[in-house]
Amino acid sequence: MEEAVYDVFARKQRSEPLRHIGYVDATDDALARVYAWKTYDEENWFEMCVVRRSHIIPVNRIDGPYAARATGRLGRHAVEGR
Amino acid sequence: MPFTEEELKARVQKGYIVESPEEMTDGYRKALAIQLTVQADTELMSAPSYWMAARHAPSANTQVSAHAIIQDELAHANIAYRLLEDMGISKQKLVYEREPHEFKHPYGFDQPLDNWADLVVANGFFDRAGICLLSDVHRNTSYGPLKRALVKVDMEETFHLRHGEVWMRRLARAGGAAKEILQRSVDWMFPMTVEWFGLPDDRKRHSGQLEYKLKGLTNDQLRQLWMSSTVPLCERLGLDVPAHFDEASQSYVLDYPFPCQYDASEKRWLFEEGRITWGQVFQRWKGRGPMNEIYVESIRRSRGQVSSWLN
Repeated sequence: MEEAVYDVFARKQRSEPLRHIGYVDATDDALARVYAWKTYDEENWFEMCVVRRSHIIPVNRIDGPYAARATGRLGRHAVEGR
Repeated sequence: MPFTEEELKARVQKGYIVESPEEMTDGYRKALAIQLTVQADTELMSAPSYWMAARHAPSANTQVSAHAIIQDELAHANIAYRLLEDMGISKQKLVYEREPHEFKHPYGFDQPLDNWADLVVANGFFDRAGICLLSDVHRNTSYGPLKRALVKVDMEETFHLRHGEVWMRRLARAGGAAKEILQRSVDWMFPMTVEWFGLPDDRKRHSGQLEYKLKGLTNDQLRQLWMSSTVPLCERLGLDVPAHFDEASQSYVLDYPFPCQYDASEKRWLFEEGRITWGQVFQRWKGRGPMNEIYVESIRRSRGQVSSWLN
């Protein structure tokens, strides 16, 4: 049973930015939506989204969980210049 | 690896936040992996323990609140296993491929919760221990992803604690048989939770978790923190606990030999046999308790079946 990682983003109020609140493992997008809604039920969210982690394209870092797709000098430079 | 061990220890003590596995030294990674494995396994094993006890819920509403707690615990376990997975440690292997005795949860979650009083005291005592441990990690950890993940966990554990304390108060006020069974639960679970915090500070010479700022308080400080809430609660409810506040030392003192042996079949601490060594405690923990295999099996039993339908 192959599962992918999905990152969960949410905000409580209209004026707030979307914030990373957690992650779920799911076999497809539909189940990821259900798992996120049922798992992260600690707030009455105004908005919640899930993003398949492999679809996140890092811009300035080549380390960390989103870095699988990171390439190029920009990322290396940013990390070295930390 | 951008830092030496000593450089990273010095940096995190000054407030540096580690954000990715690539920044970790071997020592940091090992200490964090142990901490997260204990955290994940504890949350995971609390679920079957509470689930089997939830059969004793006295009403539909209490069933709902008991199962809401179980759902939270599984989500908390999933969060900690995900953080491990992001460090390259397989959740699949941790959950499905270890022997039951290899899990790293505390001995308390190898014991049966036999009635509603056992469940609510577990919420009142064990979840309070969880809050003491995890809120300290939340405040102090140098690992950014864990600090953020614990916002949800702390919020929900507080609900579990409230559930436990409200029900303890209700059973205590009822008196008679209700209070007697509550006292029986307190009798075995109070020393169980005291022991949960581990070796006393004077026996623990070296703590990677403190040096890498993965937590802020020592075992004895955490044990005192737990007792500073739990002992007054029990005193207010008219429940006997084998500990009291000592004015001279301004700390809570145990009124029984610590550590001591536990008879798991009778669910009774053998105070009369006196103090044992921590070596004997570790031996008991490693032997695991009566529900260890049953709880692990209950988590895993349907995995292969559903996978075979889908593949």
